[in-house]
Amino acid sequence: MHLKYESQLREPLVYGEKDFHQVTEDICRPIEAKPSKLWYVGFFIAVALLMFGFYSIYSEVTYGVGQWNLNKTVGWGWDITNFVWWVGIGHAGTLISAILLLFRQGWRTGVNRAAEAMTIFAVMCAGQFPIWHMGRVWMAFFVMPYPNTRGPLWANFNSPLLWDVFAISTYFTVSLLFWYSGLIPDFATIRDRAKTKLRKKLYGIAAFGWTGSTKHWQRHESLSLVLAGLSTPLVLSVHTIVSFDFATSVIPGWHTTIFPPYFVAGAVFSGFAMVQTLMLILRKVYGLEDYITLGHIEAMNKVIVLTGSIVGVAYLTELFMGWYSQNKYEGYTFWYSRANLFSPYGWSYWGMMACNVLSPQIFWFKKMRRNLFVTFFMSIIVNIGMWFERFVIIVTSLYRDYLPSSWSIYYSPTIFEIGFYLGTFGLFFTCFFLFSKYFPVIAIAEIKHVLQTTGESYKEKVGGIEAMQGEEFAHDYAH
Amino acid sequence: MASIRAQFEVPSKTKTWSLALIFIGVLSLIVGFVTKGMSSDEHTKTVFWGTLMYNSIFFTLICNASMFFICATTLAMGGWQIAFRRIPEAISVMVKIFGPITLAILLYVVLVDHNHEIYHWLSEEAKVDPILKGKLGFLNPTFFAIWTTLTIVLWIFLGARMRKLSAECDEAPMDAETGTKFIWRNTVSASLFIVWFALTVASTIPWLWMMSIDAHWYSTMYSWYTFASSFVSGMALVALWVIFLKNKGYLEYANEEHLHDIGKFMFAFSVFWTYLWFSQYMLIWYGNIPEEVVYFKHRVQGAYKGIFFLNLIINFICPLLILMKRSAKRNYTIVTFMAVLIIFGHWIDFYQMVMGSLSKEEVTLGWFDFGIASLFIGMIIFFVSKELAKKPLVMKYHPFLKESIIHHT
Repeated sequence: MHLKYESQLREPLVYGEKDFHQVTEDICRPIEAKPSKLWYVGFFIAVALLMFGFYSIYSEVTYGVGQWNLNKTVGWGWDITNFVWWVGIGHAGTLISAILLLFRQGWRTGVNRAAEAMTIFAVMCAGQFPIWHMGRVWMAFFVMPYPNTRGPLWANFNSPLLWDVFAISTYFTVSLLFWYSGLIPDFATIRDRAKTKLRKKLYGIAAFGWTGSTKHWQRHESLSLVLAGLSTPLVLSVHTIVSFDFATSVIPGWHTTIFPPYFVAGAVFSGFAMVQTLMLILRKVYGLEDYITLGHIEAMNKVIVLTGSIVGVAYLTELFMGWYSQNKYEGYTFWYSRANLFSPYGWSYWGMMACNVLSPQIFWFKKMRRNLFVTFFMSIIVNIGMWFERFVIIVTSLYRDYLPSSWSIYYSPTIFEIGFYLGTFGLFFTCFFLFSKYFPVIAIAEIKHVLQTTGESYKEKVGGIEAMQGEEFAHDYAH
Repeated sequence: MASIRAQFEVPSKTKTWSLALIFIGVLSLIVGFVTKGMSSDEHTKTVFWGTLMYNSIFFTLICNASMFFICATTLAMGGWQIAFRRIPEAISVMVKIFGPITLAILLYVVLVDHNHEIYHWLSEEAKVDPILKGKLGFLNPTFFAIWTTLTIVLWIFLGARMRKLSAECDEAPMDAETGTKFIWRNTVSASLFIVWFALTVASTIPWLWMMSIDAHWYSTMYSWYTFASSFVSGMALVALWVIFLKNKGYLEYANEEHLHDIGKFMFAFSVFWTYLWFSQYMLIWYGNIPEEVVYFKHRVQGAYKGIFFLNLIINFICPLLILMKRSAKRNYTIVTFMAVLIIFGHWIDFYQMVMGSLSKEEVTLGWFDFGIASLFIGMIIFFVSKELAKKPLVMKYHPFLKESIIHHT
């Protein structure tokens, strides 16, 4: 017989006396109720920010990239910093849905839906930056390689910037499909519970005629497996290629071989921080504490301390090699432009170190990992730190190049650069607010699947098995 | 209810084989020492010491990878590996034997022999070379000796701590409270090992031991690359022992489900190794900076061309194509074949990392290399089987044992 069993030492993933119906009720409640006042306030702020973003982009497109403070050496500034920052955040969703699936981490079911949604919205925000950075955005289609009337003018296949176009659009497509295919059974659940005709119709369309037949489930399962398989290399490839944007160059501080894996670790790090920020709010506002438990928060904090430390080892490796290489330019970039606190941008390097390497170390302590306030605070700190990381990489490497006569003046953003960045927050939260209102924020069907093994009430029932010793247990249950 | 065979007895054939391999190894060592080690030709001497170096480093690191596996799965609260966890435990004991051997070889090269054919930073020239001069703060005999000793001693000590904790699972059943405490103590010990591992294997040690052979050259990826290479071979070694014990009728609780997961590790980390290989190679090729491409120039275009591509074929193409299928990872024969291939492939990788820098003009791979490898393999077989016989093969009272018994991948 195939027994579902896990050790009693593990915390339940779902608390409370829950049956399948109760799970459906709990998760569908926010969708079926009227949004709260708080939701309206939040949504309004998000849309306002989005409008500010529209205005900033409008101004940039009308008057040109000169609206930003980019200058002769700092050709990439806030725009690409923000691009990399958002792409990084967009890594947690697929990591949770694909890699943690491979590692059989049951706790992923509590957070995967919202994390995947976050991933998709973050990638949407990220995409804005290179697009509008083009200046003449109406020429954006030039990046598409197709036989054209521009003579021999093709996209440059040697450029990592073009690889980015392919990597990110593939990533976005697969993430979207993965997310949506998971949503189909849940949409059907909402459709079947719908009280109004319009609701029934809309969720019916979204559910693609799902009936829950065995055949449907079978196909759903194999589709999920295929998409998980596709997503796994994508988790690594996207940020690897983003790192190539820098590392293929010969700019000191950019050309370093550790960039690809270290960027991926940093991306997962920042992605999880953003998931924490959103989950802590979501579980409180929607009363989902039984599903997104302290155990979930703790597990994510473990990922944060792990990836933060990996990133820390990479920072120190780079800093060490800046000296060890005895290359004057590398040395100057790492030890003067970055690590020297009193150099013009020294503050940003130390801000990065403090936020990304030092402060996450408090998550070595269980008490801290399970403290909601500390977690929330740290999730913000990590996201600030990861923004600094990209800023440090981009600006400190660029502002003083090989020729002192072309060293640039101190770069600081204009209101339009800031407005654009805030606008992407608007886009992100507008999408997220709509998602949390109209979509089930926790994967109903998947939670039901783990409920049988790891639900609190289920675990109480298997006390007898827990008392068995290995041999007896193996005799009765081993396959 | 038949009782399970938890107590391993070393089959006499295994012992004979291991002693035969050790005999071949010792013989090669003696002949090698006479013909190469005592040679008046500096280059031949360098080849002798280089061969000892890459073999001892490789085999130490792949055995240490077992302890890394134990600690990583402990920190991740893994349950599936308990059915065979005594195996990586026994393999990790080898660090106690290989660690001091590596230490002796490295310290001899640096402190006694001052072999500047191997480590250029030991030469008088280094004191005036504008680049090497600047590196002497890190590349000097004193630091080398202290850091190497400290590293190996702590690997041994922290690994022993983990194994000591493991012995508690043989004593008495654990209730929920003792179980929780037991897991907690394991977690603390494992994290100490992991932190030390990150500071050594994943950063400083490969720079010091191997990258500094090309004293002018540097690559930030080098250590993570070395880690990936040794970890995937370490998993292959675990797989071989699991299969060996299964074939002898032990390890009743481990079955093709567990093998499948070990196979996944071999597959995934082969791909991961390739990822790091590609990232390092591609970025250096693309940047095309003379100081950096000098490392690959003779490896791709010179005498090492064959080894260079062999490395990729064995360590990437083969695992990718052969281990991708589910049925392959559950098949004892295929996994055995692949595990041997992976260990051989990464041994070749270590060969080219070290010897590719010491003997740039010609590939010296020959009887001496295989002889020394056989010495190390013989010792692994001899000591690991002896170690396996010391404790029961099943962690009878481990709180996660039952999860491992019904493990279903």
